[in-house]
Amino acid sequence: MTDNDFDLSRRSFIDRVLMATAGAGMAAAAPWASAAALAAPVAKGDRVRLGVIGTGDRGRGLIQNIAKTRNCTVAAICDNFELHLAKGRALVDASTRAFTDHRAMLDAGGLDAVVIATPLDLHKLQSFDAFDAGLHVWCEKAMARTIDDCGAMVKRSQDSGKVLQIGHQRMFKPTYLNAVRRAKEGEIGSLTQIRASWHRQSSWRRPVPAGATDRQINWRLYRDSSAGLMTELATHQIQVSNLFFDAVPTRVMGSGSICFWKDGREVYDHVALIYEYAGGRKLIYTSLLNNARYGCEEQIQGSKGTIEPELGRIYKELPPKELALLRMQADVASGKKRAVPIGGATWFAELPVTTPGEPLGWGEYDETMLQFEGFGEAVRTGKPLPGLLSQAYYASVASLLGEQAMDSGQILAWPTSLVAI
Amino acid sequence: MADVVRFASMGTRVELHRFGAGDDDALTAAQRAIEAVDDALTIHRPSATTALNERLMAGQGAAIDDALLFDALVAIEELHALTLGLFDPAADRRFGPAGWSGIAFDRNTARIEVSQSVALDFGGFGKGFALDRACAVLRAKGVVSACLSAGESSIAVVGEHPLGGGWPFAIAHPLRPDEILVELELTDESVSISSTVGAGTNAPERAAMIRPTDASIVSAPRCTVAVDRLGAHAEAMSTALLVANEDRVERLLNGDWTRRFLFDFPRGAAIPINQPG
Repeated sequence: MTDNDFDLSRRSFIDRVLMATAGAGMAAAAPWASAAALAAPVAKGDRVRLGVIGTGDRGRGLIQNIAKTRNCTVAAICDNFELHLAKGRALVDASTRAFTDHRAMLDAGGLDAVVIATPLDLHKLQSFDAFDAGLHVWCEKAMARTIDDCGAMVKRSQDSGKVLQIGHQRMFKPTYLNAVRRAKEGEIGSLTQIRASWHRQSSWRRPVPAGATDRQINWRLYRDSSAGLMTELATHQIQVSNLFFDAVPTRVMGSGSICFWKDGREVYDHVALIYEYAGGRKLIYTSLLNNARYGCEEQIQGSKGTIEPELGRIYKELPPKELALLRMQADVASGKKRAVPIGGATWFAELPVTTPGEPLGWGEYDETMLQFEGFGEAVRTGKPLPGLLSQAYYASVASLLGEQAMDSGQILAWPTSLVAI
Repeated sequence: MADVVRFASMGTRVELHRFGAGDDDALTAAQRAIEAVDDALTIHRPSATTALNERLMAGQGAAIDDALLFDALVAIEELHALTLGLFDPAADRRFGPAGWSGIAFDRNTARIEVSQSVALDFGGFGKGFALDRACAVLRAKGVVSACLSAGESSIAVVGEHPLGGGWPFAIAHPLRPDEILVELELTDESVSISSTVGAGTNAPERAAMIRPTDASIVSAPRCTVAVDRLGAHAEAMSTALLVANEDRVERLLNGDWTRRFLFDFPRGAAIPINQPG
């Protein structure tokens, strides 16, 4: 892609975000997106200087996205595993400073904010250290390993007057924003249920290179550092559910098991949960690691249609067919004889409808870039993107509450002691 | 008196409407007759047909022990010839164009032999065949006026309409359901409607229509209607018309413009209109 091509596609992407978020309803539902899309480009020397903590696969992906932004730059990188740090170095200028300890990076100064892409249990400590160093924080989802730690991160951000932004890229994706807009405009009627799944055919276990430990590389599989599927995958889709329902769950019930990958892991490889929302609405969620048939999707189900944002499709409910033969009975009873309308293809049992629907469109661009442009603008102005942190906080709380519900076998109510945002 | 039973069978919704005279158990007996055909001819669960198909697909012959399956094969043999080979329940893309012509059915010994792998799928024929048997049961039970529907694309009537005269039906345009393709009156007859377009043609269990001559999928937008004394014959004829080329269409219609119909639609109009967008 040439610079010119990139400028055009970037402009097109931003336009789509703005189109999707236009209107009073969307301004209230997703105010962060248009604020990010309107971020002004800045001169190279004035860009927000980011220190990236964690240069594993995800961290390196973030570095590449930051490079696409018009207002941020990677000023330092940090990883305590040399192989990851070396791979991170390959993505940045030779002059970019590299550290093996995040505190050393903070002490070295020259940063406006940090980007945290480390195992979940480290998020709280590293964000606290960054806030204490007077820096803003962009942190990968989920927020933290416990609900209390999530709240503590929010509180520390508030007390320090620094921005805390959590990585939920779907909140910047035009396809999703357009889907929310169309749902809010009533196209699929009253939303009553969301079925969401993230099904993979993968052990999720990575080979451990020389010099690393299993828990360092496969931290997602162990309880002290991860809630597994809940914090790594479900948190994205619970956030989508909260966004469409414009609410947080009232309670959650669920069942989890290590059902297939009995390889010493501690986190569930199968989870199934029901999140209830006010008015009897529900999110029905499953995630598993040994069958990819249904992949990753959220089915937003309303009385007039269904939206599947990952596929980028919207489907309208077919109107109920008039029962022609039933009318014939009534006609005969009333002494009336008229033609019975029949024909078309044979009626089939109530199997899934396979009409192709119509495209939602606008899914071809990497929205992670926009997250960082929004973050850069928030850092520059000192004002968080509106509405964003509460979305992330509640999604993380919900994912961890789901873990607790599965562990305890209890139906758990939404916590009443969360930090106010 | 008017009564009705509705049930799922033959992969669709079946309705039996009876008016006036007849034994109390007439509809129940008719339902049993349809379910018995379904049990024998289905390929979606273990049946006499799936057992037969296992042997046929292995290229082996078989004795036909099931009376319903035997009767169906007798009817199919006649209908295959009657439709110039275009009604072919053995047409299958997996096995090439051999189809029914690769089968030797001996009704005297109740044996079937094959020269290569084949499999039978009775499809719409099964519905017509089942309705025929249900009509026979109703008549035997003293019913003089009844309307039977299998998914509304296969209809059979017994006797006259309860208010007298024929039973009036309006066949809807498959692409524009508010428009009528043709109106018909039936008396002691069956009608079968086949279509490559319109509602339900994309339903998950709906098999593609196969042209027996070359085992290709028929995709041209077309709707056919056939009326006959027997439902099995109506089904075979509507299916044959759907896959027929111009020459064979002429021969199949055979100048009978009141009981056989064929509607070709421009390709541009062949987008099912009941889907959004």
